Amino acid sequence: MPEQVLRYRIRPDGRVEELVEGMAGPACTALTAAIEARLGPVVSSVPTTDHYASSATTVLTDTVSSSANVHHVALQHGPH
Amino acid sequence: MSHFSTVRTELRDRESLLAALRDLGLDPKEGQAAVRGYRGQQEAADVVCLQDGASDIGFRWNAQAGHFDLVTDLDLWNRPAPIERFLSQLHQRYALQAILAGSASEGFQVSEQRTSQDGSIELVVTRWQD
Repeated sequence: MPEQVLRYRIRPDGRVEELVEGMAGPACTALTAAIEARLGPVVSSVPTTDHYASSATTVLTDTVSSSANVHHVALQHGPH
Repeated sequence: MSHFSTVRTELRDRESLLAALRDLGLDPKEGQAAVRGYRGQQEAADVVCLQDGASDIGFRWNAQAGHFDLVTDLDLWNRPAPIERFLSQLHQRYALQAILAGSASEGFQVSEQRTSQDGSIELVVTRWQD
């Protein structure tokens, strides 16, 4: 029975970074779609490898840092 | 497959907007009401925060865009924070409220919430899969 984890970083200008852990396949996308529907358009979404069972911390850190670099390029305009 | 997403926050959900406005110390009223502006001119809005000065702060549902638009007289803006900062704060609080409401409705519980040094709110919600 895996634990499902949603991690959010809400920046001071309202931009949101979301990291989903512990969910496989369509369920992952469907779940966050319900939350994103209230929140706003998804600017970018990058699949992450599901290695959480063996080395969650390492994978998570790598994913956040590498993905964040990509996203910052696309998100200079803020929420308005 | 898990994923990492970035979302540009829009004011889409009425309840989350009301909660965010209250977080900022405002007292939003629901229902069609008038926002006061220059020389007593008025604009209709769906959510209104009455202000002490000559101008109020309102939000009107934009059905075409699917989100609320700000309705106020920018020339009479007299809150401590400039309008840009106010909107940023509002979007941050809105995002927090929308995520809390959305994740709670999916059975998630908050396991961590803190504000980092750069002013970002970091939130972790969890649940056990059936």
